[in-house]
Amino acid sequence: MTTTLESVSVASANRAPRPPRRRRLGADRRRAAYLMLAPSVIHLVWWIGLPVVATFGLAFTHYDVIAGTIQWAGLDNFREIFADDIWNRSIWHTIIFTFFTVPVAMAIAVFIAVLLNQQIRARAWYRAAFFMPHITATVAIALVWMWMFEPTLGLFNLLLDRVGVNGPAWLSDPDWAMPAVILVSIWKGIGLKMLIYLAALQNIPHDLYEAADLDGASGLRRFFAITLPLLKPATFFVFIVSMIDAFQVFDQVYVLTPDGGPANSTTVMTYEIYRTAFSEFNISVACAQSLVLFAFLLVLTVIGRRLTGKDADEA
Amino acid sequence: MMTETRRSRLRPLAAVLTAALLTTGCGGPAPSGDGDDGKVSGTVRLLTPIFEGADGKTVLEKQLADFKSKHPDVAVEVDYTTYAKLNEKLTTSIAGGRPYDVMLMGVGWIPPFAAKGALAELDENKQDLTKRYNERVVQPGIYQDKVYGLPIMLDTRFGIYRKDIFAQAGITAPPSNFTELREMARKLTVRDGSGKLTRAGVDILSNDLRQTFLPLMWANGGELFTPDGKPAFNSPQAVGALQLMTDIIRTDKSEDFGFTQPGATSLPLAQGRAAMMVGHNNHLLAIEEQAPELVKEDKIGFFMINNERPAMFQGGTLATVSAKSQHPAAAKALVRFLTDEQASLAANEQRGNVPALNGLADSDYVKSNKAAQFAMENLDAAFSEGGVPAWLEIRGDFKAAIEAALLGQKTPQQALDELAAKAQAAIAKG
Repeated sequence: MTTTLESVSVASANRAPRPPRRRRLGADRRRAAYLMLAPSVIHLVWWIGLPVVATFGLAFTHYDVIAGTIQWAGLDNFREIFADDIWNRSIWHTIIFTFFTVPVAMAIAVFIAVLLNQQIRARAWYRAAFFMPHITATVAIALVWMWMFEPTLGLFNLLLDRVGVNGPAWLSDPDWAMPAVILVSIWKGIGLKMLIYLAALQNIPHDLYEAADLDGASGLRRFFAITLPLLKPATFFVFIVSMIDAFQVFDQVYVLTPDGGPANSTTVMTYEIYRTAFSEFNISVACAQSLVLFAFLLVLTVIGRRLTGKDADEA
Repeated sequence: MMTETRRSRLRPLAAVLTAALLTTGCGGPAPSGDGDDGKVSGTVRLLTPIFEGADGKTVLEKQLADFKSKHPDVAVEVDYTTYAKLNEKLTTSIAGGRPYDVMLMGVGWIPPFAAKGALAELDENKQDLTKRYNERVVQPGIYQDKVYGLPIMLDTRFGIYRKDIFAQAGITAPPSNFTELREMARKLTVRDGSGKLTRAGVDILSNDLRQTFLPLMWANGGELFTPDGKPAFNSPQAVGALQLMTDIIRTDKSEDFGFTQPGATSLPLAQGRAAMMVGHNNHLLAIEEQAPELVKEDKIGFFMINNERPAMFQGGTLATVSAKSQHPAAAKALVRFLTDEQASLAANEQRGNVPALNGLADSDYVKSNKAAQFAMENLDAAFSEGGVPAWLEIRGDFKAAIEAALLGQKTPQQALDELAAKAQAAIAKG
């Protein structure tokens, strides 16, 4: 016991007096680190931190942006938005849009990535072709698709006409406008998902497939027993990123179907936030809508983490 | 009392939060120099949605060079935008505490901004203005008998028809009431063997739906608001106008919903896929681009929407001065300059619009543009939208209500009653 105490006191005596030169060096390095971090911290606080705090604050006020007046509102803005049929519809549309552009598009992206991971001719060309929509300006893409969806002279209806089908007014028909927007979004978003899956596929050890071959596993069995489980970390990443992206969709919806589409059939949460803030000048209600969108993203991210994250970490 | 206390406590918070949310630009206006010697000076910031693209910029820069020669001590900083982005610019500049000195805005925007003290009263009176402008053109710039905006140009909507298609069908004159409109539209509609619409008898979808419905409503004797500012657009006359639109689509099938839409790449009337339409005056420019022979051979005609009375939709652009301008005299000088004959004629020519000044009716531009000429000749029957401070909150809901009727989801009465209830709530909220 005595020995232990002695050794502790000796150790602490050895540790306590730090050389003044080293301490000064540490302080200098810390100062340099803070100095170098300062630009990005200031940028984050100014452009992200303050607006976030402001959004939380203004959501609970009646703020008239033109008159410059503000009153405490409590939960009034939230009551107002949930009593608004168009806002509630926009939530539903966003969920539908997300369902089709995330899980469905992810499944298609995996399929394409697996195909493009094979030794096929012009593989690089195909990869570039699939990735191209992702790097093309959304507005340009939307304008081209608008032409293709044109009811009388558009490509789709001309092709349908040839096989005797009277095509719909894609972007003007409330029943077809959302599927048309989803189709464009899947096409545009599939390249990035495919690229991430492709990178993940190339990290799967080849000897696993060799072992499976020796065991006589079929291609389908190999895919479900090896490829898909080992893609889980990539799947989690793609899922979270795509979901956030889908919930924030705005530009293609705005260009393809202006003003929320026919009979508000394509209005989504981000468009309603934009409309409330900049068409109606109702900043407080727009902030409340933004908080609802934030809550959705938070909950979905946690669920996504629960569903795929644990396994992803283990993998 | 309680509200006032809370309000005053929250004001600093509002300033901080708004500044944070909109991350305002740094710096402030240069010191004012509105001199006592009658000369104006200072740097004036102008926000314009009407000088679009490189051509628009060239036109404005040329005009501003003239302004500079008249007011050498005034510098003008221009922020070019479009009507689609105008709201964002206005919101952020006002909320950021640095509004533009001169703001060009649309008809219907004056009451919302003037009621909240965002606009400065101009040194003009209505009586003097009516000597230079048609009284109906002046009205949208006035709120509670004070002048806040001067018109630069008008965007009008009326009937446009193909004379050649009418002649082929043996119709000698455009419709003069709703009954004739429906009858002619039915007669002029063409479908192929499979029932596919190849020519709409009347196209009511190429123009913004609200701006198609409103002239029909006015022509039917309806009004947007009562004199005391309550919604009147669910009156029997207004319901009758929406019923007409619904009948054209659902009963007569003179046009299919989705056949075309505003901003479509091609205009059905120009391609012979529509015999007549409710259209904008600058649709004539689109026709000239898409089918120049129609204009050359005088195959395009215009008509007033008519039933109980003739009516034409009159939108437009007005020049206003911010109440917070640091250089109000210089800003007002710029407004006067932009609304004078020379500058406004240049702006109208560039956009194919209708000049607001009576004096320009005899200009070469108006004489050469039949749509502008037609609009100027009929300004006595022009009606403008807006009129209440809550208009900007209300106007966006018209489209969905009209579409709901056209799609048969609601009757015209239901659609307009629901819209009126929503509008009343917005008006009551203040």
